[in-house]
Amino acid sequence: MLGTYVLRDDLHLATPPPHPSEAPPHNPNPLATVIQPPTAGTKVSLAAIAPRQHSNPQLFRLDTFASSRSQIPPSIQEAPNETPSSGGNGAAQRRSNGLGPYKSSQAPVFGEGNPALAVPNGKESKDPSKRRKPKNNIVKSNSSFVSRVIPHETLSKRLSERTPDGLFIFANVNRALQWLDMSSANKEDQLTKILFTKAHPLCHDINPVTRSATHMDIIMGFSTGDIIWYEPMSQKYARLNKNGAINGSAVSEIKWLPNSENLFLAAHMDGSLVVYDKEKEDAVFTPEESVQSEKPSSDPGHRFSLHIRKSVQSKNQKTNPVSYWSISSPQINAFAFSPDSKHLAVVSEDGSLRVIDYLKEQLLAVYMSYYGGLLCVCWSPDGRFIVTGGQDDLVSIWSLEDSVLVARCQGHNSWVTGVAFDPWRCDERNYRFGSVGEDCRLLLWDFSVGMLHRPRAASMRPRGSVASQLPRLRAESTTGRVRSNSNLTAQSNGDIVHPVEPRARTAMLPAVLAKPVDDHPLSWLGFEEDCIITACKDGHIRVWDRPKEGAAGSEGTVSTSASTANL
Amino acid sequence: MASFFGRFKASSSATPSNPTAGNAPTKRDPNAPQPTPLEKLLADAGPLRSDGSDKFFGFENAAYTTPSYCNSIIQCLYYSAPFREQVLNFPARSPPEATTSANNALSPTRPKSALSPLSSPLHRQPNRPSLAPAPSGPPGTKPEDNKESPEYRKKLAVAAGPVLNMDYENSQSYGMSESLFTALKDIFEAVIAHQSRIGVVSPHKFLEILRRQNEMFRSAMHQDAHEFLNLLLNEVLEDVERFSKSKSSSDVSEQNVDGESGLVNAISSAVSAAVPGLFTPSKPQPNNSHWVHELFEGTLTSETRCLTCENTSQRDEAFLDLSVDLEQHSSVTSCLRKFSEEEMLCERNKFHCDNCGGLQEAEKRMKIKRLPRILALHLKRFKYTEDLQRLQKLFHRVNYPYHLRLFNTTDDAEDPDRLYELYAVVVHIGGGPYHGHYISIIKTQDRGWLMFDDELVEPVDKTYVRNFFGGEGAMACAYVLFYQETTMEEMLREQEAEGAAAAAKAEEGVGEGLHAKANGFVPNGVPYTPATPMVEESDMFASLDHAATAPVPPMSPDPNAAIVQEQQHPLENVASSPGSAALGFLEKRKAKAVAEKERKAAEKELERQAAQKRKEMEIKRRDNYKKQEEDLKAAIAASKASQVEDLRRSGTSTALNDDVGAADAPKENGSGGIMSGGLNRFRHTSMSLRHKPKLWLQKEKEGQSPQTPGEGESSQGLIAGASPDKKEEKEKKNRFSLGKKKSGFLT
Repeated sequence: MLGTYVLRDDLHLATPPPHPSEAPPHNPNPLATVIQPPTAGTKVSLAAIAPRQHSNPQLFRLDTFASSRSQIPPSIQEAPNETPSSGGNGAAQRRSNGLGPYKSSQAPVFGEGNPALAVPNGKESKDPSKRRKPKNNIVKSNSSFVSRVIPHETLSKRLSERTPDGLFIFANVNRALQWLDMSSANKEDQLTKILFTKAHPLCHDINPVTRSATHMDIIMGFSTGDIIWYEPMSQKYARLNKNGAINGSAVSEIKWLPNSENLFLAAHMDGSLVVYDKEKEDAVFTPEESVQSEKPSSDPGHRFSLHIRKSVQSKNQKTNPVSYWSISSPQINAFAFSPDSKHLAVVSEDGSLRVIDYLKEQLLAVYMSYYGGLLCVCWSPDGRFIVTGGQDDLVSIWSLEDSVLVARCQGHNSWVTGVAFDPWRCDERNYRFGSVGEDCRLLLWDFSVGMLHRPRAASMRPRGSVASQLPRLRAESTTGRVRSNSNLTAQSNGDIVHPVEPRARTAMLPAVLAKPVDDHPLSWLGFEEDCIITACKDGHIRVWDRPKEGAAGSEGTVSTSASTANL
Repeated sequence: MASFFGRFKASSSATPSNPTAGNAPTKRDPNAPQPTPLEKLLADAGPLRSDGSDKFFGFENAAYTTPSYCNSIIQCLYYSAPFREQVLNFPARSPPEATTSANNALSPTRPKSALSPLSSPLHRQPNRPSLAPAPSGPPGTKPEDNKESPEYRKKLAVAAGPVLNMDYENSQSYGMSESLFTALKDIFEAVIAHQSRIGVVSPHKFLEILRRQNEMFRSAMHQDAHEFLNLLLNEVLEDVERFSKSKSSSDVSEQNVDGESGLVNAISSAVSAAVPGLFTPSKPQPNNSHWVHELFEGTLTSETRCLTCENTSQRDEAFLDLSVDLEQHSSVTSCLRKFSEEEMLCERNKFHCDNCGGLQEAEKRMKIKRLPRILALHLKRFKYTEDLQRLQKLFHRVNYPYHLRLFNTTDDAEDPDRLYELYAVVVHIGGGPYHGHYISIIKTQDRGWLMFDDELVEPVDKTYVRNFFGGEGAMACAYVLFYQETTMEEMLREQEAEGAAAAAKAEEGVGEGLHAKANGFVPNGVPYTPATPMVEESDMFASLDHAATAPVPPMSPDPNAAIVQEQQHPLENVASSPGSAALGFLEKRKAKAVAEKERKAAEKELERQAAQKRKEMEIKRRDNYKKQEEDLKAAIAASKASQVEDLRRSGTSTALNDDVGAADAPKENGSGGIMSGGLNRFRHTSMSLRHKPKLWLQKEKEGQSPQTPGEGESSQGLIAGASPDKKEEKEKKNRFSLGKKKSGFLT
């Protein structure tokens, strides 16, 4: 059997019963019009304390970056296993979301040039073991927000005995957050389980910069809008945006800013993107925007402007939020940072994909789904492509440098809830990514840069249906652009909003594999060096081992010709 | 004096109270003055519009009068702006000579007389009081006790009125003979003509006609909403065309209104009417009889390729709605794509090839050549299972997006990327096909999404629409989806407005709107019971009358006090006018406070008794209903089973011809050959079944294999997946693999 992924682990996180103070979850009236708080399927945040040996995916060639994309630090492959993934609608892509361990000297800094921001970050601790912890002990907390914390009896023993290259998993299910050790023999025996009272954790992320054997900074966003900063080793926590002091709507996605110890970005369901500092106190937020600050040019694309309601350059940085942006969409579903840590891709319920230069607080481009909301997003490891999944059952590949829709990938039978690149199966010309959806299936896709340059006729699919070659038209919008993703610029709003491509002009990509992997709609997907991990709405986390030995080689040849996969 | 107040229901209407209403002391509505969520929503409404887009009437469903399958569908049609407009504008009334002299007596504007409800036949005094949950118990229980139950709220809606009692017909004034169309038009016109924004329609005439013409809807049995939709569209289409024909013939040969001798003309006009090309689809023309086609009709092209001679034959078929098979954990998009997937015609289902002259194996696929303006999608949740020999409800989770485009168009289709938006969802609540309840959730022009549950109309959040995907333990699932064409511009504009609204809401904190909705139903409130007709109830209240609508008093008087006092002075409000009542309100309030205290203890006792009584009654009712239901079920099951048998025997021959109409018949008209000729005429235009005779006889078996391999799977030669062998399947279940890859244009 060639290239067979085999189920290694199947963890089922029990859905906790509702808190006594909560209304019964099952409403006997199927027509009850009470607005239910948003919920999310299980998402996973991964972290390994120390990288494994031989973990570099050699598929990554530095010259790719050196030749055409010199701006991108070539460090992306340094230690892939060190970069924890993050939750977020499955959009989590470890390398592609920019959480790679760049040297901070190379990496751009958010809010650079604002002395007000520089102050607290000035006294960085040299010794990672002396990182600052949150104030309150979550186990002894009498907060009404936290219902119960169940640490493992031998937590410290288990922590000290485990191998440092083992994976930690943080996963939410219903109102619980569980901390699991994937290197342990009894994986399902969680290291810690936190039950919250009413709020459901919807998303979470581990800070790759501060992670060590004694410290992990985890950030969680809740259905109530609350945010918790949690340090699991010491069981300390702090609560931000308390009772929605800054923004009262649910947090659909939360991620640490690349290379930042303290700052993280939360997407609220009212269309706000808020940067918080884990160390700072809440303060009632009053927009600092002047009406003029929203894009002076009032061209047709005005509805896609980025409203800067508090700039990172604001001098008032004593309290949270650090910055506060609104996009004109009712609900943000997911976002992802580019691998070069310069851009932010945001997808929302209105079907838009927005590319934002978050350092400059500038909206660069807007693309629209074929129809329906977009649910997940990720970047290719080299930052050249963005992949989205949505309610049109499609996975869409967008090229930043060409500002076009490269292809639509048809194969899911329902909404696509998670997309992620497989960096171990990508090289400079060929890309492998996966997607999961509410159809309970995992699909794997391959596409190559070569396809971009094929003449139109050659690309016609044998089936003779709608597929045609990538429309490299749109010359007018491409001409003004420097062909580098980092220098992607847009002159005006009219230029940055891209219309929906008709089906007849869009390439359709078939999947290379489609397989039901769960009995419940899937909610998250992640790639590891040795496995694929999927999570579903019912709390199942499944680990699929990659093809072994010789099989892998042949698999590599069939999947992508130039692949040098040799596991 | 104080009693007077309790008599008036909450109402936004300015209808003066009807003096006759006071004759019978009605039991009091305990919380009448509290505005309903709908009233709150409409509080800031401006002047009435003439197009009917700001009317929010429930439809009565009491004691078998109007079943919910009917109500839910009519609501969906009403809120389709183009459909409503066409119903109102057809036939064009401008040329007075076109209509008969009966016009003068029954002018089309007759419903306008409802402006003076005292004299209007429209404005019936509902003869059912609004509540009184138990027959003998004291009427007023604390509102918190049960006011959240849909039953209660429906009664409130009826009580609040106005109730449009549609037991007349105006067909003559339209110059048409009585038909379902005229009855539907009567309803639409009455609703629009009424000066109240909210109310309840009691469409007696419509049902009368429906049942007269269609045997299958004659019983009080639960019927299929989709079948009803199909029938209604076909009937309307026919009524309209019949009228156009007769009219054009009468225009030519002026004396022969009946068209007897104008037959030639009638035929010629019919011919011209049947050629779609002769009509400009864009502008609704006066007496353009094709508007039903233009709205709902699309064209399917079936391509059949004979595997013997490789000859491909094409056939176009019109459809008014699409019925799609469901799969667990799928989406509407996927269901539509599956609809157009290639299928093999083989074995019992071979294709008669004209070229080679005989039954041959063939490949067939259906694609959409012309997209309808309104796409009615029927999710086939009721599926025949051979094991049980009857229809069963599929609770599969099927996602539906707010916007949609169709992938399954032909290459030469016009505007293949047409954007649709979801505007209405018909939801079936219940465990099986033979019983249950239908509601509809509809996006209105500028009042957001509303839920229409018979008499009850209630604003709901946009996300509420997504509560009916189905899935485990979900009794309420979407059954018919209505998508209407829209544009990208429109969509963006709407999203912008939504975004602004969301931002505003976030800034205000959780505001009024949310609260209004939140008080819709209490989560731990009374379990929802599908509005089962309860005969006892209507009998019990038949003699009672209730007050007309009145201005809402500023405060809520104690309901119980009001009731008791009212009974003491049953005639008082005959003489009173609402105005004076309002003035005296504060005084009464004081007096009542005293009375209230005295009565409190007694009330509590009474309440307890009432509650118990109610419980007993409820149990009894349910038992009765259950029994009834079971009898019915058995009967239907038997009939269906036998019918299926029939079909299986006779079906093969029709199946071979790939005749859609024949294929439709078995499931389509639940009870055999009773379908009226009128319906059959258009039967073939409905793609109600998936044009496959074998469909529900064989599909079940196919369904047993866990999944049909997707495009990618099959073409890539994946190992795991479609193995029908259970054992093997199990072993392979936990692995998946990549085989030799030959993916189209990537390698």
